Amino acid sequence: MIDINTVITGLGIEGNQVSVPLIQQMLDLLPEIPMIKLLISFILWKPFFAALICPGFATLGILLLFFPWIERKLCGRIQWRVGPHEIVWWLGGIIQLLADSLRFLFQEVIVHKDAHRPYFLQFPFLTFIPALLPLLFIPAGNIVAIETPYAIQIILAVICLFPLFILGLGWASNSRFAFIGTVREAFMYFAYEVPFIIAVLGMIILYGTSDPVGIANKQSIWGIILNPVAALTFFIAAAMATSRMPFEIAEADQELAAGPHVEYSGIAFGLIYVLCYEKAYVLAGLMTILFLGGGSGPEIAGLGDLSGVIWFLLKTLIVLTTLFVLRTIYPRYRLDQGLSIGWGAMLSLSLIALALSIALAQVGVI
Amino acid sequence: MEGDDKDRNIRILHSGVLTPLRRWGTKWSLWPCHFVTSCCGVELAHAFACGFDGERLGTLNMGISRQANFIIVEGTITRKMARALRIVWEQMPDPKFVNVIGACGQRGGIFWNSYNITRPSEIVPVDFFIPGCPITPEGLLRGVRAVQEKIEGRDRTTIKFKTAALPSEEGKENRIPTTAKIFAPTPAIRVDVPKEVDWDFGREMVKNLKAQLGDVYKSITITDKNRIAIKTTPENLVKVARKLSDTMGIDHAKNVNVIDVPHERKFIVEYMVSSYREELMPVIITIFTEIGREAEPVLSSLTALWESGDYSEREMHDFFGIRFEGNEGMNRKFLLAPETETPLRKDFKLEEERYVLEDGTPFAPAIELPSDLKMPLSEGLLEEAEKSDDFVVLIGPHHTGSGHLRWIMRMKGDVIVDVIPDPGYVHRSMEKLAENRLYIQNIPLFERANISDPINMNLGYVRAIEKALGIEVPERAKYIRTMMAELSRMGAFFYDSGIFSLFTGHSTGFMYVWAIREMILEAIVRMTGSRCTPSFIIPGGIRRDISDDVLNMTSNFTSAVNKRLQKFEDIFIYNPVFVARAKGVGVLTREEAIRYGIVGPFLRASGVDYDIRKVEPYEVYDKLDWEVTTGDAGDCLGRYMGRYEEIKQSLRILKQAVDALKEMPRGDVISEEVLGEYKEASKDIKGHLFHAYGNLVLPRGEWTSVIEAGRGTLLYSILSDGESNVPYRVRVVTPCWMNLRGIIEASKGERVADFWTIYGSFGYFPPEADR
Repeated sequence: MIDINTVITGLGIEGNQVSVPLIQQMLDLLPEIPMIKLLISFILWKPFFAALICPGFATLGILLLFFPWIERKLCGRIQWRVGPHEIVWWLGGIIQLLADSLRFLFQEVIVHKDAHRPYFLQFPFLTFIPALLPLLFIPAGNIVAIETPYAIQIILAVICLFPLFILGLGWASNSRFAFIGTVREAFMYFAYEVPFIIAVLGMIILYGTSDPVGIANKQSIWGIILNPVAALTFFIAAAMATSRMPFEIAEADQELAAGPHVEYSGIAFGLIYVLCYEKAYVLAGLMTILFLGGGSGPEIAGLGDLSGVIWFLLKTLIVLTTLFVLRTIYPRYRLDQGLSIGWGAMLSLSLIALALSIALAQVGVI
Repeated sequence: MEGDDKDRNIRILHSGVLTPLRRWGTKWSLWPCHFVTSCCGVELAHAFACGFDGERLGTLNMGISRQANFIIVEGTITRKMARALRIVWEQMPDPKFVNVIGACGQRGGIFWNSYNITRPSEIVPVDFFIPGCPITPEGLLRGVRAVQEKIEGRDRTTIKFKTAALPSEEGKENRIPTTAKIFAPTPAIRVDVPKEVDWDFGREMVKNLKAQLGDVYKSITITDKNRIAIKTTPENLVKVARKLSDTMGIDHAKNVNVIDVPHERKFIVEYMVSSYREELMPVIITIFTEIGREAEPVLSSLTALWESGDYSEREMHDFFGIRFEGNEGMNRKFLLAPETETPLRKDFKLEEERYVLEDGTPFAPAIELPSDLKMPLSEGLLEEAEKSDDFVVLIGPHHTGSGHLRWIMRMKGDVIVDVIPDPGYVHRSMEKLAENRLYIQNIPLFERANISDPINMNLGYVRAIEKALGIEVPERAKYIRTMMAELSRMGAFFYDSGIFSLFTGHSTGFMYVWAIREMILEAIVRMTGSRCTPSFIIPGGIRRDISDDVLNMTSNFTSAVNKRLQKFEDIFIYNPVFVARAKGVGVLTREEAIRYGIVGPFLRASGVDYDIRKVEPYEVYDKLDWEVTTGDAGDCLGRYMGRYEEIKQSLRILKQAVDALKEMPRGDVISEEVLGEYKEASKDIKGHLFHAYGNLVLPRGEWTSVIEAGRGTLLYSILSDGESNVPYRVRVVTPCWMNLRGIIEASKGERVADFWTIYGSFGYFPPEADR
């Protein structure tokens, strides 16, 4: 008979547990059943919890089912309509996306004759790498999968990979609309990426660290108040990066019929459809860490570590909702206007933000 | 379609593992690939806008066939469009469903004997038909529900239909109409029937014309007030035109028309031209000539003088096979499918109406389906573009932002080099059908040219008839007509605003104006009983009087519209992004606008002060207090804001007309002159329509009416032979058809994304353009 506690200690997961006082008592009763104890210890092991539950896959998965619903519902309200409703009318159609994804799952995937078949089918899946990797470095409260002092830089690097995969999608489609959309995406990529990186660097300079947990701890005053210019630049760049409305230039439904995704159908499209929500989630999480104090907030009694998780999710959702609402307020910019905003206004803003950060760091606000 | 193919998609859903999940997912996620092929598209938009909100059912409009699984075929599928429908259906992933809405999609509806339409059920397997012309949004959503039920596998054969005995009088055969059509076999066709009118300016002008033209004309006649006809020979046509253009400043062609006279073996070709010089504005000069009736007669084109006639000449080439020497567009079919003959020639016969069907006779004429699925391009285009390193993109006919026509766009980088239009995907052959129907039967026909602006379409046609008969309309009817025409103009504007905001990617703007449009339709419903196709205006007046509570409602409604308009203004019109998109884009100068034949508010936006409501006032526009809005920017923002200001004037007119109507004593609404012995119908035509109007015969001659429709000058020209009770030829020139050229010219040299801004700012409505 193997002693479970030895195993747990042997795996090195003992000291790094998510502590939740509310259920701690319940957990303490469980050691009688050895496998359950191991399982629970493993689930509550912080890196594992972060990667698989929150802010990782489980949270992402659940939220992905509801992001589009929230967006459609919210747009509906703003546009004097109801939005998805009849599917479960007593819940306001909350499982609409479940129906959509089931439909996509069981629908035929068409690979047309001119497409580059291997890449056409691979890219929708490959794109998940840059979309999911950053989640390993984003902390919810103090729960993080991989702790490293260079987390922010790594997140940035991975996010910057993202458009390359979109280019791949468009290229493999070999369609004229996809081609134009891809080229637009490539143009926009550079236009927002540079100010985006400068704004984030500014915040790193301000905080003097690039460890997300450290950054969150340092924000006794939120970053958005310390350096609103950087926050604005970051937000606009996030809107550009996720193709939200005034910058939905690469996809431009009415012009390019969804641009790079025009040829995708079935589950391949379903994956692409949720992809931009994933990216939005990652960026909103990053924004929460950099500008909104991460998981900080009044301690919710009895939840222990989960309190930070809840605050983090709440802030992220608020950022996301703001991103969604943009769609109902603005029309779409033209490509050249988008580029001039990126290379003109936003680059200037980001440089101002950088200067402001350096000044603040010199003064020693933090 | 083959029978076993029909339920294939349902079978797919009901087979394999996880069947219940499959069915449930598909049921609640029917994403329609909107196939806006004709007028029902307006009602489809209503069904998915905020009034009815089709998204409640989980149906999210998706313009892209790969990602949708549901086609809603909106009405007529023409021979040209049939290919597109088949391609889209084939490119859609399984399982897929098709709903056909509108009467045209079933047996052709009002266009049942047209030469250019097909039945969608012969092209793709159809799951559900929704009748109506046009359908109502409720009907459309009902159709979506029906498909959902079908997916669930609910047995529809259990529905019990009730049979009700309708009260009918014994011995009275209701199916046979009271009026038979009379076609004169060899009528004398004259375009220039002289008419005595009180018009000194005209007589002076004719004198001047005679002196100036010297010996190049054959005759000059005054055919009506403000109408002059000049007859000339084919050789001298260009000379006459040049003289008119040089000495009188005639600067645009309103219409190019051909009349086929087979029994005299000739074609009459006429150009209706006019000028935007102040004193000549109301005058329309018809220059016509006769040419021999051969397989492909040749006539020199006048496009060098009046480019505005370009597309009409191409159209006439399609319809009659006349080659206009000097026009570049003579190498291909412009408006028709390539395999179509020259349908407007008189020897091209349409299927006649049959009231009693014998067994085995098909209801509608046999239609040849297109054999291949290629959508032809003009020859050498791709090679040439490749040589000059241009990128060619085919936009449409099925594209989220194309409308129902195809744009062949050549671009260099992000700059448009050229846009070549390929119209005719909604050409439903109204002009040919009109030649085969009674005058009164043509009212609903022409209304369907544009159901976003139906009353103006109706009014123009009726005014041409009234002109011919010389009827004076009762005062009350005039006010009601004015009021309704303004409502319709507002409807057209809000339609275009919605499309414009969608084209710039702003769906909220679309929803807000559609809410206002819903109110306008409500007002029209209360007045006439129909949302989009009231056919309310008839020769001599209107069908029946409007009650006071409806007038009150209309009066209240103006303030409600103002309130909502304010919100729309805040979110869309003064939106900085929209202004940035529209300002300075697609500029047409005054000269360009006149040269390319732009009409209506778009011409006024370029600085021409021309509004037919002021120039040649009709109904009661001269008695009301309102202003013409002009601008001189000529860009997209200018065009749009010009129309927006115009709508504010419309609200003013509406208010005044309603107030005047409330004061006015109730009285006759139909002129007794036209009713003849059925005088008791002068308050309500119900029950007397065919008796009073069935045998209407217009005096010999050509009767041209121009009115200011929602999108610009609408011209009807009815040619009557004086013997038949059907028109010999009806020519309709719709504003959108004239504005097509403007979209092309304004787009050149602009950025690719600007094309949709320009397109939206022109309010192009393809069914109206293609007729």
